[in-house]
Amino acid sequence: MRFVIGGQIEKTKLAETVRRLAGDKATSVEIMGDIEAAMALKTGQADYYLGACNTGGGGALAMAIAIAGADKCITLGMPGKILSDDEISASVQAGKTAFGFTGQDIDAVVPVVIAAIFQRS
Amino acid sequence: MEIEFFTRLIAVDSGKLIVIAMIGAISSMMSNRCIAVFHDGLRPLIPEYIEGRMSRGVLLASSFALSFGLVIGFGLPFSLTAPIILVHSLLLGTDVIGIWCPNSRKGFIASGIVGALYGIALLVGLKSIVDLFAMMPVNFMSALSKVGDPIIVCFSLFPALVVAYQFGYRKGLFVLLATLIGYLATQSVGSLSFGGQLEKPVKLDPNGIALLFAMVVMFYFAMREKAPKLPEGAKGSNEMLVGIFSERIKRIQKNQWLLVLSGGLTAVAATMSMSLLAEGPVSLQLMAAGDANGALLVALARAISFIPLVATTAIATGVYSPDGMKFVFVAGLATNNYVIAFIAGCAIMFMEIKMLAGAAIWLDRYPGVKACGDHIRTAITKMLEVSLLVGGMMASNAILPGMGFMIVAGIYLLNRTSKRPLVEMAIGPIATIAVGILANLLYFVGLG
Repeated sequence: MRFVIGGQIEKTKLAETVRRLAGDKATSVEIMGDIEAAMALKTGQADYYLGACNTGGGGALAMAIAIAGADKCITLGMPGKILSDDEISASVQAGKTAFGFTGQDIDAVVPVVIAAIFQRS
Repeated sequence: MEIEFFTRLIAVDSGKLIVIAMIGAISSMMSNRCIAVFHDGLRPLIPEYIEGRMSRGVLLASSFALSFGLVIGFGLPFSLTAPIILVHSLLLGTDVIGIWCPNSRKGFIASGIVGALYGIALLVGLKSIVDLFAMMPVNFMSALSKVGDPIIVCFSLFPALVVAYQFGYRKGLFVLLATLIGYLATQSVGSLSFGGQLEKPVKLDPNGIALLFAMVVMFYFAMREKAPKLPEGAKGSNEMLVGIFSERIKRIQKNQWLLVLSGGLTAVAATMSMSLLAEGPVSLQLMAAGDANGALLVALARAISFIPLVATTAIATGVYSPDGMKFVFVAGLATNNYVIAFIAGCAIMFMEIKMLAGAAIWLDRYPGVKACGDHIRTAITKMLEVSLLVGGMMASNAILPGMGFMIVAGIYLLNRTSKRPLVEMAIGPIATIAVGILANLLYFVGLG
């Protein structure tokens, strides 16, 4: 499983969190610029895109939506709202591959989404 | 005295009402026609709507979901502490209003009217709440302004944090030390009179000077990082983006006049003498404290940090932001004259739009600057979280000694376990408002 970290803020923390949770199951966890990361997802060089920003949908997903398509993207956490664990799992099952959330949601959201991804594969 | 200062800031004169009504109207109309929206996350959804993959209803629901929490939990609490309107409160609202009005000639006009009314309601509503708070038996308005006290000195530390994020702890520590030395040195010099040649000595602001030097170091480090040499014929990522989306860039340029007008008006609203709109929580607090230079430098750093984000989302979507890359706020803070601010704001917006593609391609050569932009936003968020938490605890404790500390810490820690969390940096202001209201309730039941 190949992960790319796009978005705008807290990329290092996000990449470390993904590496820690995915362990050996992740073939690669790469930090990229948001455009490169979205391109990697679109061209199939990456399987999943994760990004953070202050709103969960702005810098986190903007390029992913513009380049890879809105149907691939979902905001899992935004100011004042985090999706429930079931909703997150359901979105992974439904084939979403790019996930956005706010920096402060990383600890709440990433474990759930990583677990859902490995459950699906 | 502090209360007097508030009254002056919040005084609703006809000039302020006209400016905010016009900005509200134009922003709503640009959102209605999908020319510009403020929320960076809404911009990529607009082409989905224009090109028929998303209905206007779904777009409206998404825009509401994106903006509502931010207005209530971020824009308004900060606007109340100063009280200067944080621009998010206004423009996230006009994003939604524009999309809510139908896509027709009537809808276009209606969006302008509703947008103007929203701007006026925001200004008058803010004043009414401040008046209401001031009428309560336990008046906590002056304590509320203390929430921002730590920011007023801590803001000059953010370049050190940016350098640490980007180039490691040791370099960050070096910049931190340089910032502190710069602060001390400026403080010891005090004021410059150039050997008595100036009648009025120029008083140096230690925080501003320290920030200025730290920012120079920060951008020096960022600019030194050059892009790896690309193989013959290969393109940088932004250049690729410009290539793919050239039609969308033309769309922005076609619609530039409303944007130019909006830029000019925003610059007027951002002048110190009007003090109507602020671009972010830090410059808002500095404006409220009367520190124009500090506010200017922070606004400048933030605007530079927004170039990559605004340029790439604009190029990829063909939709701009009503405030562009936020340089219009810098123009307002740099001049205190409404006419000059208006002209400068218009000119800046015009140039931003003309140079949109060029700037993005230029940024390919300096990947360090783009990364620096991301780190500036992370660093400012972190700095605000700490400063506003401490400020909120001090302010709350001034209102309710003892319990104030406990309530703010309690809200902060419990929030982290919530599925509907408040924006962490807004907890200081929100908790302090809550403590102020609680203090009044306790007074009424005879416990205060």
